[in-house]
Amino acid sequence: MTTDITVQLDRVSKRFGDFTAVKELSMTVRAGRVFGLLGPNGAGKTTTIRMIVNITAPDTGTIQLFGARIDPALQDRIGYLPEERGLYRRMKIVDQLRFFAELKNVRNVEKKIDEWLARVKLSEWKHKRSLELSKGMQQKIQFLTAVLHDPDLLILDEPFSGLDPINVELLKEIVLDLKRAGKTIIFSTHQMEVAERICDDICLLNRSQKVFEGSLREIKSSFGRNSVAVRCEGGDGVLDDPALVSKLVRHADEAQALLAQGADAQVLLRRLIDSGARIGKFEMVEPSLNDIFITKVTENA
Amino acid sequence: MTKFLAIIKREYIQRVRARMFIVSTIVLPLVMSLFGIVPAVVLSIDAGGPMRVAVVDQTGKIYTRLEEALVNDEQPAEQPDQFRSTPSVGGRSFVFEQVVSVGPDADEQRARLEQRLGNKEIDGYLILPPDFLQHGKAEFFNNNPGDVLSSRVLRSALNRALREQRLIEANVDPATRQGLFQPVDLQSVKMGASGEERDSGERFFLVFGVGFVMYLAILMYGQIILGAVIEEKETRIAEILFSSVKPFTLMMGKLVGVSLVALTQLLIWATAFGAFALYGVNLLASRGLKVNIPSVPLAHYVYFVLFFLLGYFIYATIYALVGSMVTTAQEGGQLAMPIILILVVSFYLFLPVSRSPDSSFSFWVSMIPFSAPVAMLVRIVAQTPPFWQIALSLLIGFGTVVAIMWIASRIYRVGMLMYGKRASIPEALRWARQA
Repeated sequence: MTTDITVQLDRVSKRFGDFTAVKELSMTVRAGRVFGLLGPNGAGKTTTIRMIVNITAPDTGTIQLFGARIDPALQDRIGYLPEERGLYRRMKIVDQLRFFAELKNVRNVEKKIDEWLARVKLSEWKHKRSLELSKGMQQKIQFLTAVLHDPDLLILDEPFSGLDPINVELLKEIVLDLKRAGKTIIFSTHQMEVAERICDDICLLNRSQKVFEGSLREIKSSFGRNSVAVRCEGGDGVLDDPALVSKLVRHADEAQALLAQGADAQVLLRRLIDSGARIGKFEMVEPSLNDIFITKVTENA
Repeated sequence: MTKFLAIIKREYIQRVRARMFIVSTIVLPLVMSLFGIVPAVVLSIDAGGPMRVAVVDQTGKIYTRLEEALVNDEQPAEQPDQFRSTPSVGGRSFVFEQVVSVGPDADEQRARLEQRLGNKEIDGYLILPPDFLQHGKAEFFNNNPGDVLSSRVLRSALNRALREQRLIEANVDPATRQGLFQPVDLQSVKMGASGEERDSGERFFLVFGVGFVMYLAILMYGQIILGAVIEEKETRIAEILFSSVKPFTLMMGKLVGVSLVALTQLLIWATAFGAFALYGVNLLASRGLKVNIPSVPLAHYVYFVLFFLLGYFIYATIYALVGSMVTTAQEGGQLAMPIILILVVSFYLFLPVSRSPDSSFSFWVSMIPFSAPVAMLVRIVAQTPPFWQIALSLLIGFGTVVAIMWIASRIYRVGMLMYGKRASIPEALRWARQA
């Protein structure tokens, strides 16, 4: 694991009028890793990203990029796919890609354009105008505008929203390839399930503040296996006992039970058998990121 | 700097390639020349054929004079220039029919004429009473009192007929009579550095044309900027752009890129105009159509470009500012209305300014940056003011441009990232102060 730091925020705050969008945020994004910036809508994710890419400046605190004080010239080493994104409607795809590369001071990208278009399976759309493309296709082109200039830091804000599963898989593969090539990726989303699958490190934001930060592994193990996936017939009274189960989520054919403080999974299993329930599945599971987030947020509130 | 050039390049190439540019380059001069030709053509259309008028000439002397007078009126002895505003007095032609006066039984005759009027056999009837020569009172009955043009033609013909008959009765000899009716040929002469220059209307059209092209180009390219800014905001491209370039660079690149498109178009028009002045005029002359195009000194072209750039950068910057404050094209249109209003007013100022280019009114409006582009240019073409005035106007103007750009760039960078709702003006001013 490399200890190089790509982005470092130190007690960064940003206010808009009376509203504090980001409050005293410190976080560290390590090089060559996928960093998940997570949180519900309005938590301050986009504002944080805008400060990292130097669109807005923080009111207080400092931001370091690649070990240096943030500077417009460093923008060229960042690839940014904002959540609010678009293309010029009447411009040909190839012209748009070339233009966005030029804005990053990169020239002679013809070959790269062809390679990338082939990679996202849009080669035959090269000379079409963007208004002729479907929304999903446009989204892939927007993704290309963020990676075409071969950035060292790639920031993706909700990159998969609105994409079908095949294309999500395609882009996910590309992101993981870039990571393998040593790029740093900041991945912002409110979809915890997506983040869970690709992030190495995460930082959870809620109401402008950091809830916690660290590697996904560590966070999960620190929470312990206090969740049980159960599939059984009967035994409803047992699962509803607050002394054993603090939270119960029922899915189609099974339920997820979060054990109450101090409760033992073995006790739960015995009580279920005693109650005469037929058990199809009883498995200790890691808490989902979603569960962790909800727990953490309610703890802080 | 390379980013700035990339933005200019994109803006220029995308727009010059667009169908819109090609169409407007060709269509606009056509529309302009139509504005010159159509009114004349429309007025000369004689809808419904000649007007049939029955004349009851109770004096027994006027009828022939009237017929003569109308012929004379329709073909003026001398046509002062090809730009007569009402060629052949609207081209209204008349067919007269003399109705023999039946003396005492006038009422019955009148009833019969009414009936014919009702049956649409005639379009009107004119009664010249016996004392017409003394009092000059006549009555004209027709179905369409709104046809002012015909009444006017008829009145002037009657006037002439009456005057002629009175002169005949005063025993004035035919040669003198003819001399009396010789029309005036008034020609205004512009005093220029190169001595005197004959002027018979072309210069007015040049002043008008130059003012109009200036106004139209500023309006058109201002609107293009508005649309371009709104597109980048609406499609959310702005955020990607801002992660690569400074908002100020983006705004300036856009303004400069579109200004180059405008200059390209103006250059095409100027070349076409020049080619027409050189060859077209000769060609028309060889077919017997004489067109005078006043010579335009080279300096005027330079001034045109300078004042166009002045007007363009003032208005286009404001348009860019407005575009960054709104969320949709409709909102942009509404918020841009006051700007268009100022522009329209400054265009119409060309009238008083061209009438008295050296008045103090003209001086002031050509110093105010918002009206200077049209007003100063009109002054230059009509009667070139001292150089210091032109220089001062440009200085004030470009100073204003810098100030507007400074304010606009501050509002622009905040506005472009604000989605959801339109910014109010106080809000925008706060951004300008805080940014």
